[in-house]
Amino acid sequence: MPKDMMPHFDLYQPDSLDAAVDLAARLGPDGWLLGAGQDSYDWFKNRTKRTPAVIELAGIAALKGVREHEGGLEIGALTTLTEIENDPLVQAKFQLLAQAAGRVASPQIRNAGTFGGNLCQDTRCWYYRYGVDCYRAGGNMCYADTPEGQNREHAIFGASRCVAVQPSDTANAVVALEGSMVIRSAKGERIVPASEFFVGPALNIKRMTVLEPGEILVAVRIPAKWAGATFYFEKVADRAVWDFALVSIAAAFRVDGERITESSLVCGAVECVPHRLKAVEAAIKGSPKNDETGERAGKLAVSGATPLNFNHFKIPLMENLVRRAIRGA
Amino acid sequence: MAYKHLGKDFLPHDVVAKVTGEAKYAEDFRVEGMVFARLLNSPYPHARVRKIDASEALKMPGVLGILTADDVKNPPAPEQALLTNEPVYVGDPVLLVAAESETLAQDAIEQIKIDWEPLPFHVDALQSLHPDRPNARSDGNVGAGGVEFQTLKWTKEDFAAAEPGKMPMGKAAQEWAFGDLEATFAKCKLVYDESFVHGSNSHHSMEPRSAMAYWQNGKCFLHVSSQSQSFIVPALAGMIGIPPTDLHVIAEFCGGGFGSKGGAYALQALPALMSKKIGRPVMMRISRAEEYFNGSARNGFQGRVKLGFGENGKLLAADLYIVQENGGYNSFPDFRNAADALSMVYQPEAMRWRGMPVHGNSIRRSAQRGPGYNQLVHIIEPLLDKAARELKVDRLAIRLLNAPETRSPVGPKRTPVSSCYLKDALSKGAAQFNWEERKKLSGQRTGSKVIGVGMGQAYHPAGFNGFDGLLRIAPDGKLFIHSGVGNLGTFSHSSTSRVAAEVLKMDWEDCVVIRGDSRKHLPWNIGQFGSNTNYTMTRTNFVAATDAVNKLKEIAAKQFGGSPEGYEIDGKRVFSKASPGTGMTYAQAAQRAMQLGGKFDGHELPEDINPMTKASATALAGTGLIGVAKDKLPLDGAIAAYAVGFVQIELDLETGKYRILDYVGVADCGTVIHPAGLETQIKSGAIQGFGVAGLERIVYDPQNGLPASVGFYQAKPPTYGDIARVMQVSGVDKPDPTGALGTKGIGEPLLGCAAASLLCAISDALGGHVFNRTPVMPDMILNHAAGRAPSHRPLQANCQ
Amino acid sequence: MSVSFVVNGEARTVEADADTPLLWVLREQLGLAGTKFGCGIGACGACTVHINGAATRACSVPVSALDGAQVTTIEGLAPVDAPHAVQAAWVAQQVPQCGYCQSGMIMAVSALLARNARPTDAQIDAELTNLCRCGTYERIRRAIHSLADAGVSHG
Repeated sequence: MPKDMMPHFDLYQPDSLDAAVDLAARLGPDGWLLGAGQDSYDWFKNRTKRTPAVIELAGIAALKGVREHEGGLEIGALTTLTEIENDPLVQAKFQLLAQAAGRVASPQIRNAGTFGGNLCQDTRCWYYRYGVDCYRAGGNMCYADTPEGQNREHAIFGASRCVAVQPSDTANAVVALEGSMVIRSAKGERIVPASEFFVGPALNIKRMTVLEPGEILVAVRIPAKWAGATFYFEKVADRAVWDFALVSIAAAFRVDGERITESSLVCGAVECVPHRLKAVEAAIKGSPKNDETGERAGKLAVSGATPLNFNHFKIPLMENLVRRAIRGA
Repeated sequence: MAYKHLGKDFLPHDVVAKVTGEAKYAEDFRVEGMVFARLLNSPYPHARVRKIDASEALKMPGVLGILTADDVKNPPAPEQALLTNEPVYVGDPVLLVAAESETLAQDAIEQIKIDWEPLPFHVDALQSLHPDRPNARSDGNVGAGGVEFQTLKWTKEDFAAAEPGKMPMGKAAQEWAFGDLEATFAKCKLVYDESFVHGSNSHHSMEPRSAMAYWQNGKCFLHVSSQSQSFIVPALAGMIGIPPTDLHVIAEFCGGGFGSKGGAYALQALPALMSKKIGRPVMMRISRAEEYFNGSARNGFQGRVKLGFGENGKLLAADLYIVQENGGYNSFPDFRNAADALSMVYQPEAMRWRGMPVHGNSIRRSAQRGPGYNQLVHIIEPLLDKAARELKVDRLAIRLLNAPETRSPVGPKRTPVSSCYLKDALSKGAAQFNWEERKKLSGQRTGSKVIGVGMGQAYHPAGFNGFDGLLRIAPDGKLFIHSGVGNLGTFSHSSTSRVAAEVLKMDWEDCVVIRGDSRKHLPWNIGQFGSNTNYTMTRTNFVAATDAVNKLKEIAAKQFGGSPEGYEIDGKRVFSKASPGTGMTYAQAAQRAMQLGGKFDGHELPEDINPMTKASATALAGTGLIGVAKDKLPLDGAIAAYAVGFVQIELDLETGKYRILDYVGVADCGTVIHPAGLETQIKSGAIQGFGVAGLERIVYDPQNGLPASVGFYQAKPPTYGDIARVMQVSGVDKPDPTGALGTKGIGEPLLGCAAASLLCAISDALGGHVFNRTPVMPDMILNHAAGRAPSHRPLQANCQ
Repeated sequence: MSVSFVVNGEARTVEADADTPLLWVLREQLGLAGTKFGCGIGACGACTVHINGAATRACSVPVSALDGAQVTTIEGLAPVDAPHAVQAAWVAQQVPQCGYCQSGMIMAVSALLARNARPTDAQIDAELTNLCRCGTYERIRRAIHSLADAGVSHG
């Protein structure tokens, strides 16, 4: 039960990445990595999750900033969402990401909240946040996927015991832009494609990403591939600010004349991972970028959706957003 | 009539403190030796506490004490318990722990072991009336707002008799009727029989209900978040178990209440009881989630209404049945108020009402801005539009046709209202909104976006009488107006006090409003709720000021000869009408009052004033000229306020979202006493209305009784981006014949008319479809637009 | 731990657990109760202060992150006898109702106007996300426009 009363933990504030990596290796699962804490504090204050120790990454300058990288960009995980939203390089090349960052929570949250934190935040399933003993919390049931479960905000794709969705707005843009994640640990560096970074419950029901204890997300690389493409981002939520998507879409198109030569479409809040629409991308290749194609693509996008009691509205919403993305408004 | 003060803007004295951070709310106070207390709230929707083992917690260094249900005197069921051994909803306070620090108190709570016996529960009032379903409480299931607490179930036959989608209607706990219902329905051209759900929503006060208490010399000092000042003292003293004279309530500022902090509530008393037990000042801070658990919410309705219209659109007959979910404890009579609203706003010839207030294992419900009166118009206004369409009557015309007028009757007793200018408000609003042109935009489509326009009306009672006024003209001639009104943010503590300045013809600069702390000798005033303050406390200030004027004249007559009637006042002096040079200043008169003593300086007081006023006036006795009186001005009929709203929206059929383009609000609140205040109320009432109509929700999982809506982003109060950017307001500004100087209240219907107008505009954009359900969320619109069935079952409540 | 930072122009050093949110340091240790608690998760903005000029939710910033920072609260926005233009506009337009959210609201608005003295309605909607349950949003909008119309500079 939420209480807003933070329990004690040991706080480590490394000032270099190496120091952070050492700490993460030493503390393992006991070392909670903290960006700006916009998600973490919620867990701590409500005492629904605890950790003996927190590794605060805010003091590591190397994790901040937007740099050019092989024609694309490399964005430090501790870069704030406001910085991404306003960064001239991001705006010039990847407007999609700027727009997604600009729709996160509220400006004040974006001033503090980090890119890495936004990508790695935990799901917003209200049952799980409440602190019930569900699968994701180590228990043996899903409260949302029950005959009378209140699951309006839950998944229509890819559920496996757990029906929670990925809440991050920027995650969808990063997957659409075919980005990759730079991960450091005591074992060294590994690069994971964004499409593999986020994990669903079938793969690991207790985590939202592939990050293992001891691993730190240090940067996100956005390849040159989609730079300057035609983009479309839209997030539909109940309220204008500080709300999570009911469904969102992040899309990039290459268009030759009227026809779509290549596209990348990702829907948010429909699955536990950013939901890439590869079948749609294949189907619209070579088609004119118009409402007719959009309508056809929308229908294809939602085929196979398995709604719960309260979320079948996500089917028409997703269908419409795909259509709007292709139509361009 | 031209007034010196009324109808003119002024700067309320507390505005500056509210923009500099100087305003101190309950949680901002600190005293020497203060410690913190934290609540343990029930994790079960219904359970019995078999045993509490706090031994480990109490052994922790710095833990100072525990307060359980066994330490407090709870009021009789179903009143809210202070602390309970049979919690009736998730979050119900079970015990309180005090410690040197808040974190320590919370850590100690985690060491407490409770042996729970979970009990049956439900979170759907209607379903719980089925004979096979459990009750929310072990001692009864029905009762609130004046209906006796009892066990009352419907029969299986009652449930079986209802057609699919229609609400069953078994025996009601309360009912009334007037006119010949059957015969009137028989002559109707158009009859609707609609079942509906009005959602519950939290008050979302920005200031959680933290409280701090300490004791000195047997007196309890209590800093609380309260809409009301004087009104809560007797009840709160009762909860603490002391005479009201031993309780000092400090409530100078209140960070929002909207009905949830109108009367005394249990959480105000707990720090006082803990402080007494441990002998230390105690601060009990309430977190946001705890505010959602332990604040309260608007009563939700499941209901059914049969409406019969004549060919011209006149509502002739109405048959209303409301099942209200009270939550676990006693609540407000929204279910009955709704019936009054139907009888008032639409003036049917014949009507029956049946009501069933049912306890559920969910958050406590209480009054929220327009309790019942507003829910009713949210349901009926879109149905009125539906009838207008079917009968081919203009939507403005059907409202003008049905609208009441001054002396129109309300309720089963057919009590006439003292004044009603609803038709004027409709006409004024229609002109300002340009209804004739705007209605042509209805249904206009651009791409996926469609225009909807709508209007809504609302009504609320707007005043009481019988409370006291108290003021003092000091020896320096300044006027001190003592106000027991709270500080909800409407500034009516000052706007009503200006009536005293008006009557005494004084400059506002020479007046001081004394308020916010019961040590300041305040009169017995009603709480700041129910849209009553304007009416009720302009009267108390009017009678107290009139008493002061009479005393000024008597003193002058004693001094200069002749009768008091031969004297006049001008705001500075009392003087002879025949010889204006003969007279004395208010300062001199006040000094003379002190020499004369007796009634003039408060040593003799009227017999009929409340003991609180008597004690306050006695404390002031001998310090100037005292004006004090009980309001016994005539009251002729029911006092009523009305409001209308007009709105245009642009609804996107592909996203289920809409933008509110602009809004016009008009109030019938009698004489406008503070135009800036009225403007604020009309606009802010509308914003809350938009939230009730389209966003705010209470969600429970019926399988385990857990609440989903315990944070802002789940409970969804409106933000900047969710409201109308353009808002216009006006007042009808016609005086009520019975109020002091013609004023009436206004706060509540301003929410209802806006919510109703938005619901009508949504229906309009969707081509006349009516959801018969609030709030109308994007998922509902999307499903409708896509031709899909809604997610919720008919009449399902507290769901997403 | 010991953290040193500048609050309202004054150098302050506080001893606190590193994870203590700034809000509680301000309210409990520095006696600056004008900054309010509303939700504890950065959703409502009642606790908005300026950290190095940026409007930030004090409930969600650990004090350890503030070493060397410039923090301004409502009490330090302007001297008592010379109110900040935003405060003056708030009084002139009688913006507050209950007042509880207004400290944070004024801090959010003053930070916005320092960057953009003439925000459009759309910018106001996008940038000002503090909750006001009384519903003073429209008055706030008008007060902001009144400042722009009067040509008040916020540099």
